[in-house]
Amino acid sequence: MNRREALQRAAWLMGGALSAPLTLGALDAYAATPAPDWKPAVLSKQQADLISTVADIMIPRTTTPGAKDVGVTELIDSLLKDVYSKEDRERYLTGLAEFDKAAQTTYGKPFLALDAKRQSTLVHKFHDEAAAAERRLKKSDEDDEDEVPRPFILMTKELTMVGFFCSLPGATQVLQYDAIPGAWHACLPLSEAGNGKTWATEPGIRL
Amino acid sequence: MNDHTYDAIVVGTGISGGWAAKELTQHGLKTLVLDRGRMVKHGEYPTAMLNPWEIPYRNRPTQEDLDRQPVLARTGYANAQVSKHWFVDETEDPYIEIQRFDWIRGYHVGGRSIMWGRQSYRWSDLDFEANARDGIAVDWPIRYKDIAPWYDHVEKFIGVSGNNDHLSQLPDGQFLPAMELNCVEKEFRGKVKDKFDRALIIGRAAHMTGPLTHNESPQRSTCRSRNMCIRGCPFGAYFSSVSSTLPSAEKTGNMTLRANSIVHEIIYDEKLGKATGVRVLDAETGAQTDYFAKVIFLCASTFGSTFVMMNSVSHRFPNGFGNDSGELGHNIMDHQLGIGAGALVEGFEDRYYSGRRPNGFYIPRYRNVGKDKRDYLRGFGYQGGAGRRDWSSLLAQPVLGAELKEQATKPGPWTIGMGGFGEILPYHENQVKLDRTRKDKHGLPLLAFDAGLKENELRMRKDMANDAAEMLEAAGYKDVKAHDSKTGVGLGIHEMGAARMGRDPKTSVLNGWNQVHACKNVYVTDGACMTSAACQNPSLTYMALTARAANHAVEELKRRNI
Repeated sequence: MNRREALQRAAWLMGGALSAPLTLGALDAYAATPAPDWKPAVLSKQQADLISTVADIMIPRTTTPGAKDVGVTELIDSLLKDVYSKEDRERYLTGLAEFDKAAQTTYGKPFLALDAKRQSTLVHKFHDEAAAAERRLKKSDEDDEDEVPRPFILMTKELTMVGFFCSLPGATQVLQYDAIPGAWHACLPLSEAGNGKTWATEPGIRL
Repeated sequence: MNDHTYDAIVVGTGISGGWAAKELTQHGLKTLVLDRGRMVKHGEYPTAMLNPWEIPYRNRPTQEDLDRQPVLARTGYANAQVSKHWFVDETEDPYIEIQRFDWIRGYHVGGRSIMWGRQSYRWSDLDFEANARDGIAVDWPIRYKDIAPWYDHVEKFIGVSGNNDHLSQLPDGQFLPAMELNCVEKEFRGKVKDKFDRALIIGRAAHMTGPLTHNESPQRSTCRSRNMCIRGCPFGAYFSSVSSTLPSAEKTGNMTLRANSIVHEIIYDEKLGKATGVRVLDAETGAQTDYFAKVIFLCASTFGSTFVMMNSVSHRFPNGFGNDSGELGHNIMDHQLGIGAGALVEGFEDRYYSGRRPNGFYIPRYRNVGKDKRDYLRGFGYQGGAGRRDWSSLLAQPVLGAELKEQATKPGPWTIGMGGFGEILPYHENQVKLDRTRKDKHGLPLLAFDAGLKENELRMRKDMANDAAEMLEAAGYKDVKAHDSKTGVGLGIHEMGAARMGRDPKTSVLNGWNQVHACKNVYVTDGACMTSAACQNPSLTYMALTARAANHAVEELKRRNI
């Protein structure tokens, strides 16, 4: 385990006893709701809408908020602008265009013009294929550290998950989070570890 | 006494400098403490309380961050948004890599004691006798009995949690209550013991897991299990200079602490045969000031202190301060890492944990210990941990939508992993030089690093990967993967050597009290002094050597020997 893996492992060990943030989260569930006048810096309006739609299929609002509610598209736009290299940004946007083109080829309409059912079918199809490829890669990959470029659909899933599960509602309503646990309990029955849900993790540098 | 003259000067405020400041001021010496970076006081940790959703860019470095800290990025973690401000802007403070060299620096009051890994292990005579036994480099001028009382002194003051494990290669100490291994780690400990007769212990970490045995640090309190230590701890739960030694020094009224003060030269008086002070450049204004004292402690980090010595050229020391032996800048060491193994653990689905333990398990060195003999010298230890995966493992699973949310709430499978920290031998040719043809923004010459791993380290590396995988497989874990990532010397952030201690002035720079052989009122007590590297994290040893040297200096001043 190098230090990065050590950090990731340390991140896996994060969590805490159920406390204040959960209530806080309920009150403040929509705190991160995008401002209505938000304008993307890198994405076009259409690209932003497509990403929002895909992200919301991946993590929809249920009894708890979803990807759109926490502003995942805003996060992706800011990451594309400042965090991704030019190559990665271009690869992502090219992948987005290819995805939209596949909608056109399959259904004769751009993705945003499709009905919700077809949008969902297309996202699932692309996603399941990419996830299968990623699993094959992981299996054959001896060195964990190789950073293989991921296709548009998986990058979007990764960023949607990071954006959502590290958001206030994601971390505190879907998962559980405690900023100041106070104590370390090394080995508990699952049901007694807070509310028994996965502890939210501090976002690492890469998934 | 004018305001430029003191009893003592301490250069640097990190792990070592803080200790020199505390010990010297508590013995009544008026002490000037200098740091090249900005002021940081306990509590001034700007990212410490950020929640995950409040961290910019979800903690990833921007392209601009990567441009400013390209070496730091090699760590894969330290340039995260929550910690990048503790590390130097490498465009402002460059150095030269003749071979890849990962120099990870923090220029601010407190130095790397704010971001350190907090693992605190004693060295034993297996380490202090190693060079003599193997006929490598030079012998350490001290043995365990010389440093043992100072380990006691340091551990009691800083607070180290851990167990007395009764291992000859990892001496017991003065510990606060140990943190607990989790269920999987406990099972693995049993298997490692049964199948290999090797020890697996909870890490010994400089955290308060209970009250300290002294009342000197009311600003510190017990660990809250946040595991956000690298950001700085508002509770003062782990040891750092700013939470611990510097406040004690401050309380004496004998400390003058100056930030933004770059020491670039030691002033040597040839007639007296002594150092009389240091030259300081103000990092903000560029103003030059000389400060004077009877005794000088260099605690500016391994290469910070080496730089000051190399840059202090005089008629008496034409090749750098105290460099009669020609060893200054040579024999630089680190711990090699980036190698180990991980696995998936079946079972324990009904067990979990709460809190975030800022610590892991430790497998102390067992290679070339007792009857074990390998085709290389020395050995390595492992640091590791087990935990349950979170939602990130769902990335490659065919699951989306409400089902993804639902599955994310269920803790994933247990995984376990460990990585080796291996000893690097002191080689004369592993060195750092001063390149006077290239200058930084202050007009000071740059350090140029030329060091690499050799045959002994590469042989050890094979064991470091194989043994880890073998232990995980023998424990019955699945999907065992060994990994070996490219590493440069320095990435262990345990850089040592360059002004080693030794018995003979002809082959070493410092004596057994950390005094410069040729100028006894200058002490060097940071990692530069190390004669060999062992495989244990070295900070505790720097602290013990510093406390020992500071008390020696106080005695020598009383005896008018310096």
